[in-house]
Amino acid sequence: MAAPMEVALVTDAAGPLCNCAVWELRSGSALPGYRGGNSGARGLALLGGEHLLGAQLGKGYIGVWELQRKDQLQQKIICPGLVTCLTASPNGLYILAGIAESIYLWEVSSGNLLAILNRHYQDVTCLCFTDDSSHFVSGGKDCLGLVWNLYSTLQAEPSEIPDPRHVWSRHSLPITDLCCGFGGPLARVATSSLDQTVKLWEISSGELLLSVLFDMGIMAVALDLSEYHMFCGGMDGSIFQVDLCAWPVQRDRAFQAERENGKVFRGHRNQVTCLSISTDGSLLLSGSHDETVRLWDVQSKQCLRTVNHKGPVTNAFIALAPANMFNADSKPAVPLPKFSKHLHGTESSDDQGADGVTLRLGIDHQRAGESYLEKADRLYSQMCSTREKNLMGDQEQLKIQVTELQDEVSALRKINKNLFDFSARLITKSAK
Amino acid sequence: MTKKRKHQEDFQKVKLKVGKKKPRLENATDTNFKTKAIHLPEQLKEDGILPTNNRKLNIKDLLSQMHHYSAGVKQSALLGLKELLSQYPFIIDAHLSNILSEVAAVFTDKDSGVRIAAIRLLQFLAPKVRTEQIAPFFPLVSAHLSSAMTHISEGIQEDSLKILDILLEEYPGLLTNRCSILLKNFVELISHQQLSKKLKSREKISWMLSVNPNRRVTSQQWRLSVLVRFKKFLQALVDGSSGLEEDEGVQEQKENSQSMRNSVCISWKEHASNQQHIQLYENGGSQPRINSSFRLRSLVNVADSVEKGLSSAENLKGFIEIIIPLLIECWVEASPAQLAAPVLGNLLEPESQQLMQQVLSIIYLLWKLTKQHDETHKMETWLRMNYLADFKHHFMRHFPYSLQETIKHRKRDSYKSTKYCMTSSNSIDHLLLNLTLCDIMVSLATASTLQMDSDWLEMIRKFVTETLQYGCRLNCKQLNRLLGVTWRLMQIQQNKVATETLIKAVYVLYQQRNLLFPVRMLLLKFFSRVYEKEELSTQRIRSRSKVLTRWLTGLPQQLALLGSRNPELSNQLIETIHSAASRSNKELLESFQATASRIYDPLDGTLVLLPAESQQRLVQLVYFLPYLPTSLLSSLSRCCVMGRMSSDLAATLIGILHVRSSFAAWKCQVQDNSVNDVDYFSFLFSTLIGFSREELTSLQSIRGKPHISQSQLSPVRLYLTDLDQFLHHWAVTEVVCHSLSTIPSRSQCFDILQNGICKYLVGLAVIPDSTAGSILCAMSKLLDQACILSENLHKFLASCCYSLLYFLLTLDKEDAEHLQKRDTLWGSCISVLALVPRVLRLMLQSLQVSRVSREELPIIGQLLRLLMQHGQLRSHMVTSELLVQQIVKDIMTLKSGEVQEQWLTDLQYCFNIYLAAQPQGPSAISTGY
Repeated sequence: MAAPMEVALVTDAAGPLCNCAVWELRSGSALPGYRGGNSGARGLALLGGEHLLGAQLGKGYIGVWELQRKDQLQQKIICPGLVTCLTASPNGLYILAGIAESIYLWEVSSGNLLAILNRHYQDVTCLCFTDDSSHFVSGGKDCLGLVWNLYSTLQAEPSEIPDPRHVWSRHSLPITDLCCGFGGPLARVATSSLDQTVKLWEISSGELLLSVLFDMGIMAVALDLSEYHMFCGGMDGSIFQVDLCAWPVQRDRAFQAERENGKVFRGHRNQVTCLSISTDGSLLLSGSHDETVRLWDVQSKQCLRTVNHKGPVTNAFIALAPANMFNADSKPAVPLPKFSKHLHGTESSDDQGADGVTLRLGIDHQRAGESYLEKADRLYSQMCSTREKNLMGDQEQLKIQVTELQDEVSALRKINKNLFDFSARLITKSAK
Repeated sequence: MTKKRKHQEDFQKVKLKVGKKKPRLENATDTNFKTKAIHLPEQLKEDGILPTNNRKLNIKDLLSQMHHYSAGVKQSALLGLKELLSQYPFIIDAHLSNILSEVAAVFTDKDSGVRIAAIRLLQFLAPKVRTEQIAPFFPLVSAHLSSAMTHISEGIQEDSLKILDILLEEYPGLLTNRCSILLKNFVELISHQQLSKKLKSREKISWMLSVNPNRRVTSQQWRLSVLVRFKKFLQALVDGSSGLEEDEGVQEQKENSQSMRNSVCISWKEHASNQQHIQLYENGGSQPRINSSFRLRSLVNVADSVEKGLSSAENLKGFIEIIIPLLIECWVEASPAQLAAPVLGNLLEPESQQLMQQVLSIIYLLWKLTKQHDETHKMETWLRMNYLADFKHHFMRHFPYSLQETIKHRKRDSYKSTKYCMTSSNSIDHLLLNLTLCDIMVSLATASTLQMDSDWLEMIRKFVTETLQYGCRLNCKQLNRLLGVTWRLMQIQQNKVATETLIKAVYVLYQQRNLLFPVRMLLLKFFSRVYEKEELSTQRIRSRSKVLTRWLTGLPQQLALLGSRNPELSNQLIETIHSAASRSNKELLESFQATASRIYDPLDGTLVLLPAESQQRLVQLVYFLPYLPTSLLSSLSRCCVMGRMSSDLAATLIGILHVRSSFAAWKCQVQDNSVNDVDYFSFLFSTLIGFSREELTSLQSIRGKPHISQSQLSPVRLYLTDLDQFLHHWAVTEVVCHSLSTIPSRSQCFDILQNGICKYLVGLAVIPDSTAGSILCAMSKLLDQACILSENLHKFLASCCYSLLYFLLTLDKEDAEHLQKRDTLWGSCISVLALVPRVLRLMLQSLQVSRVSREELPIIGQLLRLLMQHGQLRSHMVTSELLVQQIVKDIMTLKSGEVQEQWLTDLQYCFNIYLAAQPQGPSAISTGY
């Protein structure tokens, strides 16, 4: 496949048979879905292109599939409560889950629970990483948006609760969705809220850049990759497009009603729950409570495809298709460890032995390591074979070799003696 | 001959006779006129010639006179200049540089009269010249000023302070730019004396005391007046350099507004209609925008302020090192220990106290300046190290100053009745003095040094609590500072016991009944700040202040009691409640729940009384209510329909309730839904109806034309609502219909609605037109194949439809109010008729023409015609063709005897076109006519 293929991953609240449906974005051809369980809203995440995580609806665990094995759940991460939202860092090293008022942070490589962040006063509704995994943003029912620096949360002492980098408290009703733009720590974040506004913030300064007031609560928000447009899904099923870069163009204003339609996608009959935009910014995927997923052409605002589901759509997002998804023989480079339920620091008293740092090499390194061992093996066998050959052959070579080695030994001894003399001289001198 | 005769005529002799008047000579001059003088007070002056004052001196003359050796001439020149400039203000602009340079030059004149005149002129000039205008000349002016300040003659020094006053008043920014020189001058003004004291040690003081006791008084007064100016100057410096730095006290909101400044707030509607554009990225467009906040300044200023001003921490430290010992000496001289000695006159007292006040406020301002630097902490430790001991020794020894002084006043009053006694104003001054001292001292302490400072902190705490407890007469400014000190104290000592007493003291003050509004506002802000702080810390230590909790739980009740008396205060209350509610503070939520019925009362609750912005916050608060009982929902629905809330806000409220209901959540999710489904439905239903049961029953008795529209064929009479009410109701209806349509099990929802209508509306004789319309609208939106309508409902809908259609067709063309209803009502009728053919059939069946008066016949005809013409309805009309045919026939027979009117021919034509064209049985009718 030459061009990168994009797939849509969709889950709904009804189907335990087919938890996560997957279809190719452009053609609409369905790919085999993932079975088992029932993922909750904002509870689906791709981990490092190898695993798919799904927070179970109404149950306290996260289901894990390996991307190539679609028939059943491979692992369950047991959580201390209902998972309200879930996300994985783009570099595949950390998993975040919102459980009631707390945010849980796991390290993927070791399975340790590294931090539990308690700064929200009510349930956490949404979590989002920046594209370089350096920061993450959380939004909650307490109307607060918090920006965290991942590494400073990790460095904090276990006794004290790490402080978020910014606290955004300008919303007056619960935050329903978050979307993080491009640019790592310089990115902009859009938050949508039931208070009928969508606000755009800057992570670097923590300032509010833009606030758009709608006439209904907004349930989902998405930014396209170039941040030309912001898409906001409303409670009544309309999706609004806000142009972020528009110069006032003089045009006659005869057809205002028509013009307004030019910025609204109409079609859903119930609240929009999730929005996602393809990487080229031309297609918009939206899921709704009316049990449909729609694919829209952004330019013309037309609905390209409607997929019916059996229950309200909980997640729908567009992702670049990971290779593992199609290659049934592939295997994740690293098997997922068992995720611990207890905070890492406190648990360490139990097993003192495992105090050292566990190091897992990345994919590339690991492959190199294996081949190195193999190479060493091969070389060794080669050497042995030559040795054998030599043994079988004439003895003279052996003698020559022995004398060479003896010479070398004597040379080494000489060097050693010199070294000894030199250091002895130094020591005695300093003693004087 | 003729020539000769002519000649004779020319020289005719005039005969004069005695007694006759002498004839007039031809060449006589008539002297019979009177002269009048034309007085020209001044020459006509035009180009080049300058206006003059009363003494005929123009600006150039006056300015040149300033160089005259005689003081009198100079003085009169200054007076003349003032007069001239007040007459011709335009001269100021033209000659500003000359005027300023001349006037500034006489700041240092030896003659006091000249100086006074110059000061007056400056006083007159300053308000008329803007800062930008004077800025280029300011270096000159300030140079003259500083030379006057450092002048050897005392008179000139004194007058220089007056000049400084004027300049500080008008151009604080310019003056603070040159602070390095001026600060030095200030120091010299007082330390000149101090220095001389130090050099000659005792001699000078003794000399002053011995020779002229009044002299010392003057020196103290002098010091006072210098310090007053110095304080003003520092104040300007602090104000100017700290745009964002706020008083530590209560106002913290400013910081938020700072960040608000550059955020763009727009509303979607305007954006969608292309009226408002977002340009989020500053240089994102085709042209880069140039609005830099940097300004080029003249080089002189830059060099000055950067090098020597107080802007850098080092310079500030150096200056503090110079000034504070001086200030302490001033203090010592004026301190009560000396005053207590009986030698000194009592009249000194207010002055010395003022001096003390000035000293303290200067220190306070310096402290404020130190806080603007980055390494605040380092600075604070430095200050603490150097000055704490001195301060403790001098300032804190007699700390609560008010008591001693007032007692003394009273004593003095008793045996020496002086008219200077201003006890009332003084007591306030004492408070200010004490507060400033507290401010200074408290800022020296930190949490880490608590152990060492406990003795004097205890004194301050005692003072603060006492002042707060008896502080009902405090004004706003005092309270602000007092609360600032309190806040800092609480920061320093974070254990619960200490803070609790302080909070309690504030709470006692808060509970006073007749507080001024700004005072209450301050207290409220203080409390909410304390609360926020506590929220942050209690995550670690789960211990809440009891007083604070009590305060918090009292808030909803206060809100309910406040009503509409003070919207600003209510707004603050709502904000605090909101922040506590969003953090799910249990106690607050409980008390909010308890008072909710009063706040959301539809008649006189806070919700309907407050202005729109506060209403919005209140509506949003509904989301956080832990439990929404039936009664609350019913009053909310009344609030929605009564029109005292805008329809947008009603829509918001319905949206919020929808979110709270079980229908918005995920099905499987276990959630304790606080809104009962039954309650939710009844809320939606009564909002849809728009009228309470009592209102409906009271409507039944209304009769008569202007309010009621009635047809003979339908049992339902329509009550005509006002347009405002109608539009509001319609807007609400649309929202309700939408939230009804999002409920997953459509048919059950429909059944419930149907039952409601059957129970409450069927059987009523009078129904408001908006209600009828909204029911039809809801029906058409909700109806589904799966839904089954009951017979009753069919009939009711049919009669509603007919009544509405009749009302629409009989509408007066001029009736602008009702005409606006036409489209919406027509649309809802048609959609129901198109969706449910049976309703159409029933309606047609009810048109029994024989029972109808002659006036209604044309209307029925028109109605039938319109129904037949309508595209959606045509097929249904075809299926019930026989009925239509019967009606048309009846009409024909009734009208057969008369002349055919236009409507009748129209009807006939339509019938023939639309229905008779169908294959089955059209012939019978067409043959009939």
